[in-house]
Amino acid sequence: MRALLVVVSVFFSSWLWANESVSAKQLLKDMAEAVHHRNFDASFVVVKGKSMEPYRWLHGNQNGTEFELLSLLNGAGLEMIRIGDKVTYFEPKSEPYTIQTDSIAGPIPEVLFKNIDSLKESYDFVLGGKGRIVDRPAQLVRLEAKDDAKYNYWLWIDTESSLLLKSAYVNQQGELLEQLQLTHISVTEAPAEQLLELSQKQFPEAVSGLLKTLENGTKNNWQIGWLPQGFELLKSDRHKLDLNNELADYYLFSDGLVDISVFVQRPLPGQRPSGALSSGATTVYVHNTGAFDVSVVGNIPAMTAKAIAESVKRPL
Amino acid sequence: MAQAEKQVTEDLTTSQIFDGDLSLNAETDVRLDEQKFARYALIGDVMRSQKQDTPCIDITSSFAAALEQEQTYSEPAVEQVKETTPKSNVIELSAWRKPFAQVAIAASVSLFAVLGVNTLSTDATLPAGETLQLQSTPFAGGVSPVSLSTEPALESAAKGIRELQQQRIGALVLEHQRQSRMAYALQQSGESNSAEKQEEKEQ
Repeated sequence: MRALLVVVSVFFSSWLWANESVSAKQLLKDMAEAVHHRNFDASFVVVKGKSMEPYRWLHGNQNGTEFELLSLLNGAGLEMIRIGDKVTYFEPKSEPYTIQTDSIAGPIPEVLFKNIDSLKESYDFVLGGKGRIVDRPAQLVRLEAKDDAKYNYWLWIDTESSLLLKSAYVNQQGELLEQLQLTHISVTEAPAEQLLELSQKQFPEAVSGLLKTLENGTKNNWQIGWLPQGFELLKSDRHKLDLNNELADYYLFSDGLVDISVFVQRPLPGQRPSGALSSGATTVYVHNTGAFDVSVVGNIPAMTAKAIAESVKRPL
Repeated sequence: MAQAEKQVTEDLTTSQIFDGDLSLNAETDVRLDEQKFARYALIGDVMRSQKQDTPCIDITSSFAAALEQEQTYSEPAVEQVKETTPKSNVIELSAWRKPFAQVAIAASVSLFAVLGVNTLSTDATLPAGETLQLQSTPFAGGVSPVSLSTEPALESAAKGIRELQQQRIGALVLEHQRQSRMAYALQQSGESNSAEKQEEKEQ
């Protein structure tokens, strides 16, 4: 009888252990599932250093069609509306436009609501401690970058509803650089009226030709010598920047979680040393080579941005 | 002066009679303000929640009516939203943003400011060995600051360049934000493309 008890307890503890090791990834998958299927009305703030951005986030699912509204509540504002697989961005001072994609590119990396298997080459999924966030029991899941030149991403997931309660970009020293924290969430049976009204509205047609193939790009204008592990070129072209009409050779890289933009431009007048700026997790590094300027923008450490910028050379 | 004194004694007397400190007689009756007495009684009743039969003037309705007549500053915005609902087309939706058009420029400028300000603090907290220089003070290492402050022409040129630089940084940040909106879709299409190529190869 005692032997049986030992066998049972060993079996049970190993089962618990196995269960635990599965759940970091499983929790993320459950979260993605919950975010797609639940009807909720949430508010959250993004804290970047000393600045703070409040957002409202509405989501509904009616007969399989998803309605989502994400809106920045401070300043001039920014409104993002998704109906099914079309996302429309409303920005101040410019025409709204629609992109054919099934997730909003907001402050939360969209891959987290999708297939996270694509992240496993660059990140480890680690289960952290439990805590209380927005008066709910929360489980921490850490995405630990395999490359030290990148930031980690931590998520706190509601253990009951599987919804996201908090997330943060964390540097290798364990400091929270940019935090996203829900301040309120209510889950309802039916989608919010406000969302269903959206289906009555007309949105701009999805912009075509945005997803240009790399073959037409300017891939070979510059050699980008170094990138952290896992980054792939998604796009390259030459275009004018919207705000100041400056021409730039543009490269977009992504490792699935974070995006990096590399701009090569004509140098500005005046002698300027190279340097970095940061806001939360976002770094802007401007490198002045003399003959041309390289700027790197993305949610990466300043030293990484610097290394990328300095690795850009003219092709031989 | 005499009038004021009379007023004060009247007030005092009314209150004293009401409290029962003075007895009501011919002498004090002259100095009693009847309206005031009624008001005191009403206040007392209301405070003791005994106002069943007391005449009560309901001002809330007239107040609400007055409020409705009142011009509000937010009214134009409210009207605009109302207008958009029935028409429901693209241009109307963007009109949501109209009241904020002026904020827009300020916001795009404030983005740089945020970045600039944050750099100072971030840079100070950078681990030792990371020798990054501030972009927000581009002249720290270049031209001597003394010559800058004494020569207005140079100073304004420096200011111009700094503005150009801030503009550029703002443009870069905005562009990055916009481009990364397509990143996920691009990645998906890239993955499906490579999958297709793989299939072709296999065939």
